Amino acid sequence: MENNCRILNRIVQINIANVKYTDLELSGNTCFVGTNNFGKTSLQRAILFFYSANTRGLGISASQKSFEEHYFKYENSYLIYEIQTESKPFFVIIYRHNKLVFRFVDAEYSPDYFFNENDEAIKIKEVIAGFEKRGMFISQQIDTFERYRNIIYGTETDKLLSKFYILKGNEKYQNIPKSITNVFLSSKSSIDSRFIKDFIANSLTTENSSIKLEQVDRQLRQFNEKYTDIETFLKKDSQQLIEFIEKKYDQVHMLKGAQMEMADKLGSSLRYAETQNEAVYKASQEKQEELDKLTETNENQKILLEEKQKDVREEIGYYDRTIREANKKLKEYKEKNIEQAVEKNTEREKLQVDYNIARREYESLTSNVQSIEMKYSSLIEQLRNDKTAYVNKINSRTSEIFNHYNELQLLQKNEFNKKDAELKQKREDALNDLNAEVTSKQIEFNELKAEEKVIRNTRFYETEIKGLETELADLRAINYKNKSELAIKTNLVQTNQKEWENLEIKLKSSLSNQIQKTNNEIIRVKTEIKAIEEKLNVQHDALYGYLEKNVKDWHNTIGKVVNEELLFRTDLNPTITEDKGLSLYGITLKLDDVKVVSKSIEEYQFEKNERLAIIRDLEESLNQFQTINNEEKMLAADKFGKQLGELKEDLKVLTYSLELADKREKKLLLELEDWRQRASTEIEQSLSGNRQKINIIEEELAVLNKKKNNLLNDFNTQFDKLKVFNDERLTDLKSRQETEISELEVEKKNQVKEYEQKETQLSEEKESNFKAKGVDSKEIKKIDTRIKALQEALKEIDQYSQIVSDYLKDKREIFDKLPDLIQKKEEFVKSANDLSAEIEEISRKYNIKRMELNKQKRAFEEELIDFNNGINYFTKNFRETPVFNKYADIIDRAEPKKTNYSVMDLCTQLLTNDSHFNEEYNAFQRYVNEFAGKFRLENHFNFIIRNDATQGEYERFAQNLRSFINENKIELSIAETATQIGLVTDSIATKVRELSGQKDKIQHIITLIAEDFKKAEFEESKLIEFIKIRLEDSDNKVYKLLKRIQEFREENGLVYNEGLFNTDFATHKNREISNRAVKLLDQLRTAIKEQEQEEIRLQDLFELKFNIKEGLNETGWTHKIDSIGSTGTDILVKAIIYITLLHVFIKESSHRGSTDFKVHCIIDEVGQISAHYLRELLRFAKNRNIMMINGLPNKSGLEAHYKYTYQFRREENNNVRIFPSIVTEIEA
Amino acid sequence: MEEATNFNLPKQTHDIFAVMARGAFISSNGSRDGMNRLYDVINNPENFDRLQAYFNVIRYNIERGNNFFYFSKLSEPNSELEKKLERFERYIDIIDLFASMDNKIGVGSRFRPSEIAEECNANVRLKQKLQKIPLYRSETLHNKVREICDLMSRDSYLELEDEKSESYKVLDSYNYLLDVINSVAIYEDNGMNTDDTQGIIYN
Repeated sequence: MENNCRILNRIVQINIANVKYTDLELSGNTCFVGTNNFGKTSLQRAILFFYSANTRGLGISASQKSFEEHYFKYENSYLIYEIQTESKPFFVIIYRHNKLVFRFVDAEYSPDYFFNENDEAIKIKEVIAGFEKRGMFISQQIDTFERYRNIIYGTETDKLLSKFYILKGNEKYQNIPKSITNVFLSSKSSIDSRFIKDFIANSLTTENSSIKLEQVDRQLRQFNEKYTDIETFLKKDSQQLIEFIEKKYDQVHMLKGAQMEMADKLGSSLRYAETQNEAVYKASQEKQEELDKLTETNENQKILLEEKQKDVREEIGYYDRTIREANKKLKEYKEKNIEQAVEKNTEREKLQVDYNIARREYESLTSNVQSIEMKYSSLIEQLRNDKTAYVNKINSRTSEIFNHYNELQLLQKNEFNKKDAELKQKREDALNDLNAEVTSKQIEFNELKAEEKVIRNTRFYETEIKGLETELADLRAINYKNKSELAIKTNLVQTNQKEWENLEIKLKSSLSNQIQKTNNEIIRVKTEIKAIEEKLNVQHDALYGYLEKNVKDWHNTIGKVVNEELLFRTDLNPTITEDKGLSLYGITLKLDDVKVVSKSIEEYQFEKNERLAIIRDLEESLNQFQTINNEEKMLAADKFGKQLGELKEDLKVLTYSLELADKREKKLLLELEDWRQRASTEIEQSLSGNRQKINIIEEELAVLNKKKNNLLNDFNTQFDKLKVFNDERLTDLKSRQETEISELEVEKKNQVKEYEQKETQLSEEKESNFKAKGVDSKEIKKIDTRIKALQEALKEIDQYSQIVSDYLKDKREIFDKLPDLIQKKEEFVKSANDLSAEIEEISRKYNIKRMELNKQKRAFEEELIDFNNGINYFTKNFRETPVFNKYADIIDRAEPKKTNYSVMDLCTQLLTNDSHFNEEYNAFQRYVNEFAGKFRLENHFNFIIRNDATQGEYERFAQNLRSFINENKIELSIAETATQIGLVTDSIATKVRELSGQKDKIQHIITLIAEDFKKAEFEESKLIEFIKIRLEDSDNKVYKLLKRIQEFREENGLVYNEGLFNTDFATHKNREISNRAVKLLDQLRTAIKEQEQEEIRLQDLFELKFNIKEGLNETGWTHKIDSIGSTGTDILVKAIIYITLLHVFIKESSHRGSTDFKVHCIIDEVGQISAHYLRELLRFAKNRNIMMINGLPNKSGLEAHYKYTYQFRREENNNVRIFPSIVTEIEA
Repeated sequence: MEEATNFNLPKQTHDIFAVMARGAFISSNGSRDGMNRLYDVINNPENFDRLQAYFNVIRYNIERGNNFFYFSKLSEPNSELEKKLERFERYIDIIDLFASMDNKIGVGSRFRPSEIAEECNANVRLKQKLQKIPLYRSETLHNKVREICDLMSRDSYLELEDEKSESYKVLDSYNYLLDVINSVAIYEDNGMNTDDTQGIIYN
């Protein structure tokens, strides 16, 4: 046993796997001999576990029992490692307490601690109690493998435990157990650089230090999917489709709204028709009754008035006749100069008195000559009497003739009058008939005129027109309100948009400023890093390196006075010429208080790391800034987008309402115009019917008037003829009368002349007698002349006395009453006129009322017909159609209400519109499908529509799309994706940086290995001339791309991408950068897919090449050396490489001062190696403080080269017994 | 492809040729094998002219449809055309069926054969239409629709978007079928048939 170093001295297994107990010393090269499946590997694993304390890194396959299960079957299973130290040894107990735990005991191992008197292993409690009883130190239970490793590799800070180490490792001590493990696990016989790479890499890295490509691929996929979605969205075709969808959606929406409105109207009309049918029928009946009643009342009134009118007419007739007759008489009297006669008649009495006076005068004068007088008087009297008799006779005859002719004339006149009367009667009758007809026609005409007036004054469809006018007014009021609202909201949208844009610009500029600022800072820090790196890179060849190598503690001397720049100059060729001690060119300086200027490599490294951390911090803070910026952007988008969305929605609604209102207004105007037209047509129709009738009546009246005129003419002709005949006859009679009378008058005249001559003769005789007797005959003659004149006058008066008397009587009875009669007649005429007017008024009123009622009745009837037709049409032509099913709910739920449309029109319109709607909807659906089809099935915008989607779903799709556009969600998505590309590249860059950061370590290790190979003492055996190793750049396509992404990231900083898509903000430079980023990511994704690699590990970062020369064989630079020489040579080379690796790692990972320890290198199956080679190998290992633990299948003499050889044997109870083989060691 | 460098062709030329030379379409809404990317490449005016010039050399002509491209052969023999027409005939019934569905199947529509089969099963008219489609011997409606989908996928009118759910998407190339259908003129048989006046004339 070598006491001067630390080494795993002993392994003790108590109830471990199939081994009941074994206690094996390991403090030198050890060899296990046994055939397969005897437990050699299990034991080697148990030894490995001491170094690795990692149950998963023992090469136990998943199908095998776990380490705990296989090794620690019992509660008294113990694995004990005894470690030799410079002073006394200590040991570690591993047992299972649910999981594997460790305890350190500060003492040499003894089986007594674990077995009782019966040689039975005791339980841990008892073991611990035993230690305590013995007053030995036993540590607390160590629960974790890591803490155990910390203790074993000397990094534990607990003072109680810090002494239980095998070696003092540094921060990289983990490489030691890893290396030992890797050597153990490598079983390939060929030397493949990949294995060495793995070895080195695994030793340097933890499980997590790899780039999981699945994760990267996921990130890339997520980014790519989003990118593709956005790209698809931004395509011209998609934008065009969005426009189409929006447009069609509006149309479909409008049509649907209109259809629903119409369906509601149809429902209302139907309900109304159903509920009002009875009522309307009743109302129609009532109107009919009202009409009958009105007609009856009117008839009665008319009859009453007509009777009155008849009475009045009779009165008028009577007065008219009386007045006419009176006038006629008056005329006749006038013709007979009645006034003169009356005047003369008034003088009769005076004349009679005058006559009597004259008579008496005459008698007094003639009293003397009475006898003569008497004689002559009697003669004259006689003569006169004769003459009078004759005259009388003639007069009588004349009178007779006169009378006769007068009688004839009278007869003629009577005849004439009779015929005239008859004719007049006839004419009157005919005229009366005609007049009656004319009157009736005139009445009819007047009625028609009145009706026309009524028609003209009637407002047809007043309700409808008024309804429409009201609706129009309301609509215009709402329109006005909506227009103002639209203007306000448009303003608001513009303001919001401007505000949003300003905020966006502000955020963008703040982000770009921050990026600029950070990038500048990063560039500055990078420059500093570069400077440090340059220093670190050149330090080997510079003064610095020289000082490090050659001048001990130079920092405290030269380091205080030298210029830092000088330290890193490579052109100074420093050499130590003579010992000047602590002097500067021979001058000694007291430098105690002088600050050290120079820095150690670690300080430089620290400074570099610090700066890298600053860059990370800067980037982190930039990331945070960007996240906050994005969040603000999102908040703004959320706030403004929502507001704008709502406002735009409102605007759309308003615009749509206005459009609708416009259409509605136009429609209403058309309807109004239509109703007005219908009203005027109705008036025109009514008037035209009326006018036609009026025209007919006018014509008839004209015909009647003509007929009347003809009749009158006819009668006038007859009258004329009759009159002519009468006049002729009368003239004839008169002329005959006159002829006969004139003949008689001539005869009379002649006779009277004769008598007068005789009387004159007698008078002359008398005169002569008087004269003879002296009587004044002149006076007598004068008186006599006066008497005669008076007699004549009286006679004349007496002649007209009868007429005067008649006249006076008539005057008294008739003529004086004539004004009264006329007045009365006029009164009656007036009253007749009043009656006519009254009748006319009643008739007019009746007509109006009748027409009104008829109209109302007709309206009811028409409504009724409409109702029935509508219901029939609905039942036959609509109810069974799909359109009904579509709107059945609305139709069935509608309230009964009167509408301006008929059921039939509504049904037809609904059917027509539905076909139009279907066309539009199909187009809408097609556009939605086409649009959604452009996107991936699981696109992040959720633009998905199922094939069996309902109308509602399609509409929701359009609504969501509209919200998406309104809220400008694409901007958010672009921002997110832009952030994502930044994050993805950043994440990749970070991962690559982290991973490739270890490349330096690899380079370092490889350098050490190469140096170690050089140091290999092969010269002695000349077996292997040289083993060379070198690093080359990786061929891994994925890594190359990852690297390019990292470089891209370094070059461009964080990619914040406004240029990711061709948006307004994208500048050319941005676009170029973005395109490159996208392209790189795309290439990476393809490469990952093609390469099918799960992760990029450290070993993928470089290529390792060997060049080995064995004897005359040189492999040349190659990745893989299948065979260098014999198998033994291969195993040897492999083992040498392993040992070298292990040595390098141990050296690198242990504390510099810590050299007094040895570790084991476990390589199984070295059976094929020759003794010579084995000796060479063991020596090679020994020179590097490495003890070999190897396995051999059987004893072959090779075991003689090991310090310890153990044999394995399986006993009957299947237990394995391990016992030392007695051999003589041939010292390597 | 040496020529590709001479013509300054896009690097996807080979892929484009590989797809179109087997008579398939490249549709803008196709997503499998980067079809939409290929579409974008061809649709780029600069690329289009170059590709056209290039393919013309090997007697292919790129035809542009509504969001899709395909090859036509320059001076194709009539016998080939006739074969194509014969092949097309089967699509008349298929398009008729698709257009008669409740939700008409058009470009961008996504569906599963089972959905179509179900609808056909529930609708006698559709069922008859489906059964009328010749060339298929599948016993169940579902299988028949599957076969149709399979055929259409092979002819690149459909794309099997999700194999798991058997979800198909109608590609833009479907427009080609519709265009052909729309350009079919039907002449009434007036009993004066000559060789020129066939029942159906394909333009």
